[in-house]
Amino acid sequence: MFRNYFKVAFRNLMRYKFYSFINIFGLAIGIACFTLITLFVLDEISYDQFHSKSDRIYRVVGKLETDGQGERSSSCTFPLAAAIKNDYSEQIDEVVRFFNFQEQSHTLQVGEIKYNEKRTFFVDSTFFKVFDYELEKGTKESALQNPNSIIISKELAKKYFGDDEPLGKFIKYDGNSQLLVTAVFADLPAQTHIHFDALISFSTLRPFFGADLQSKNWVWNPCWTYILLKQDAKASDIEKGFPNFIQKYYPDHIKNQAAHNLQALKDIHLTSNMDYEIEPNSSKSAIYIFAAIGIFILLIACINFTNLATARSASRAKEVGIRKVAGAHKSNLVFQFLIESLLMAMFAVVIALVLVEILLPIFNSISGKELILDFINLPLLLPSIFTIGLLSGLLSGLYPAFFLSSFQPIKVLKGEFKNSKAGKIIRKSLVIGQFAISVVLIICTGVIFKQLQYMQSADTGFNREQILVVPIRPNMVDQVRPFVQEIKKDKNIINVALMNDIIGERHNTHEFNYEGMKPGDWIYFPALMVNETFIETFDIKLLAGRGFSKEFKTDDSLAVIINESMVKHLNWGTPQEALGKQFYTPFGREKVIGVVKDFNFVSLVNDVGPFVLDIPVMRQRLTWSKHLAIKLSKNETESTLNFIESKWKEFVKDYPLEYFFLKDNLKQLYKAEENLSKLVAYFSVLAIFIACLGLFALASYTAQQRRKEIGIRKVLGASISGITTLLSVEFLKLVVFANIIAWPLSYYLMNWWLQSFAFKTTISVSIFLFASILTISIALLTIIFQAVKAALSNPVSVLKYE
Amino acid sequence: MAQINSAPYLNFKLKIKDMIKVELLTKVYRTEEIETTSLNKINVEIKAGEFVAIMGPSGCGKSTLLNILGLLDNPTEGSYYFLDKEVSRFNERQRADLRKSNIGFVFQSFNLIDELTVYENVELPLLYLKISNEERKKRVTEALEKLQIAHRKDHFPQQLSGGQQQRVAVARAVITNPKVILADEPTGNLDSKNGNEVMNLLSELNENGTTVVMVTHSHHDAGFAHRIINLMDGQVVAEKIKAKIHV
Repeated sequence: MFRNYFKVAFRNLMRYKFYSFINIFGLAIGIACFTLITLFVLDEISYDQFHSKSDRIYRVVGKLETDGQGERSSSCTFPLAAAIKNDYSEQIDEVVRFFNFQEQSHTLQVGEIKYNEKRTFFVDSTFFKVFDYELEKGTKESALQNPNSIIISKELAKKYFGDDEPLGKFIKYDGNSQLLVTAVFADLPAQTHIHFDALISFSTLRPFFGADLQSKNWVWNPCWTYILLKQDAKASDIEKGFPNFIQKYYPDHIKNQAAHNLQALKDIHLTSNMDYEIEPNSSKSAIYIFAAIGIFILLIACINFTNLATARSASRAKEVGIRKVAGAHKSNLVFQFLIESLLMAMFAVVIALVLVEILLPIFNSISGKELILDFINLPLLLPSIFTIGLLSGLLSGLYPAFFLSSFQPIKVLKGEFKNSKAGKIIRKSLVIGQFAISVVLIICTGVIFKQLQYMQSADTGFNREQILVVPIRPNMVDQVRPFVQEIKKDKNIINVALMNDIIGERHNTHEFNYEGMKPGDWIYFPALMVNETFIETFDIKLLAGRGFSKEFKTDDSLAVIINESMVKHLNWGTPQEALGKQFYTPFGREKVIGVVKDFNFVSLVNDVGPFVLDIPVMRQRLTWSKHLAIKLSKNETESTLNFIESKWKEFVKDYPLEYFFLKDNLKQLYKAEENLSKLVAYFSVLAIFIACLGLFALASYTAQQRRKEIGIRKVLGASISGITTLLSVEFLKLVVFANIIAWPLSYYLMNWWLQSFAFKTTISVSIFLFASILTISIALLTIIFQAVKAALSNPVSVLKYE
Repeated sequence: MAQINSAPYLNFKLKIKDMIKVELLTKVYRTEEIETTSLNKINVEIKAGEFVAIMGPSGCGKSTLLNILGLLDNPTEGSYYFLDKEVSRFNERQRADLRKSNIGFVFQSFNLIDELTVYENVELPLLYLKISNEERKKRVTEALEKLQIAHRKDHFPQQLSGGQQQRVAVARAVITNPKVILADEPTGNLDSKNGNEVMNLLSELNENGTTVVMVTHSHHDAGFAHRIINLMDGQVVAEKIKAKIHV
């Protein structure tokens, strides 16, 4: 019996090659998209799970806020780790800190080979007790035991030592310390929120800071701190004790602003969006959006399948009749047709797997992942894909199976077969559903693109054109100073400014005591540490007062500049009225000398709040000089860059030059949105494609079914254009209707999505119109071919046939 | 209306078992606005071993009657006894079960499945009877040989002539050894030579004991039957007994 089913199924596939192709190929694309998205989602949700103890690892994070101002920091102070381990010895097994001087990169050097390495951290020797990383060389117990030890990745070993044995060799760190290579990592997993190429023993830091900082400074919080709970300890129990913990250790001036929380390691990648994250994390909403797209594309493909199978029922009606006459029960036939659907679904899965292999590199380049179809490490993957395929086949085959098997033999054998009204309505609604989904995807693409463009080109209140940023570090400053003096002489270098963080991207918070506060109290405000040329370099608009100036020798210790929002936040009236107000720092009795117009000191995802610009006092200036901002003239950029490079080599001998254009860097802030827009765009193209495949086949079937009607109409004098219109309009109506459904749906969806941005574009009608015109035109192109073909056919042959 | 005097025929009734008996059978088709009475309170009895032809003009209800007799359709009113069992209210599943082991069909348009070979078409009813593979092979081969189409067993229907296709259809109809063969204008799509061949086949089957009920327009074909039932406007208007039946 099975053999008979398969035979018929297979012979039908071969006989109607065109429809079989569309059916199987459409479903294959759907399954392929779904698989790609599943791989993506699986990857996203598997972050930091490779540690055997990952369930028990938490990150300590902190908050320092007053009136909603301050910071929510992903990192903690130096002494917190030891204190927390000591106070919670019952619950906590181990603590490990990550530290990188809050700097973008560090220079590693072996002989003449030197590079700026971006992913270098200092970690406690407890690292391997908390995290599971495999070593290719060296031992976990001793690798981080001593000061001046470094563990490097395989790639770094290759880069600095070639084929030589790296163990026992030295690497020079940032121009001074020599670090001993004690171990080499095996392959490092990609699914983690901390990627590193080199780890240096924490004890190496002692000469930098002395013992003091590590035990006493409860304000500076640059250490990402992870704890490993004991077997049955609960994170919530520890959190309950945090208020007391803070009262016990924190200095008076921040005791009442500080709070701590624990973040489960596994949740960090998808949920954490704090200040000073090691890397930008992902978000759950992106996962939801992708998962929804995956499901919808699969749904479109299933709808195709259902629709085609039902539309083709005429060609199977006779068979149903004969089988029933020969003694088949309805259940036999339902079973037969389901087997047929499953068979097609299996073909589709095989093609889908091939498609996934072909599309993965493209998908990876868009999504920035390194996904592979790894059936060995993901043993459930292949069975899951097949299950999805089977379920799709079952889902899409169910309706046609019941529809077909309910034909009455006497009617179909007499050729009295007519497509039932209910069948038609169902088919039409399915087409509407497919196109509605496609239109929603197109509109979403449009809105996401528009928002992206808006964020990338919006007026952020500061100039970002032709600004070259060069990260520098305190120990470079002696060499950098003459370099700056030298390049300033060039006519193509308009200005050079200093800033401690990158304007428009990130900043730190600093303590201030403004007019009206109790002396000795400090409040933390977002701020940038800058120099006298900063405001003019970035063309930031002054609303009142003056900018910093070299002419006022005391500007470093006696002057701050605040933004409009700060004036509003402190209820100081007009910018003019704010001038001269007290704004103390721990380093000087500073006063407001100027008020600037609000500018976007972080990405446009966030709102602009109160902000401070300050010049560090002379003795601190070295520590705070972390970036040079060099403004270039619009001419001869290339040669100016060469000039800068050559001067750097001349003056800053020990460190390789590292630079980037501010504009490019700020674009990176919207990388997530850019990836999203690209992926949604690609998937909407696929969605439309699958939907059109179905529409094409459906149109050709309808044209075939209405042959007789068309023949009679032609005999009676209908024109070709008249018949083409007749056939096209029927389908166009569906697409138009799909648009009507899709409009409010996409508006609602995109409104929801835009909520997460402080600065948002408007959802313009033009996007909706564009999506509608696009879908209608594509649909029309799809149908018109069939319609014209039908209209051109010779009526005599058709009527004779009938 | 005209009740027929069938006294000579009644003599048989005592001896021969009823294969098919319908009483006051009515079939009404309803569409949204029109109600058509296709069969109007008709009574028909068919004995085991009979060869009956049903004749009448187009639309007289002869095909409707055949469909009801073949358990492809239920009557609106009246009763239908198949082998003395009342079956007019059977559901679809019961009808299918009764049909598949007792009734064989031959259609004007052959109605072979295009995607199946000659062999597979003939085998089909046995599959639904869950007959073993071996047995199926034996019976299909026998049937194909008997009908002289064994050499065509791996061909598809489109590759055969009309006469050959109808022979395959007959082979399929008899493969289950049904008690009754219902033929709906079996020669309608054939030339006279092939038509005669098919009629001879049906006669032969009848001579071997199978009851045959045939709807036809052709007086020539009707000549093969023992008895002719004439229908008009859903009623039996005349009945002619031509020959004694072989029992």
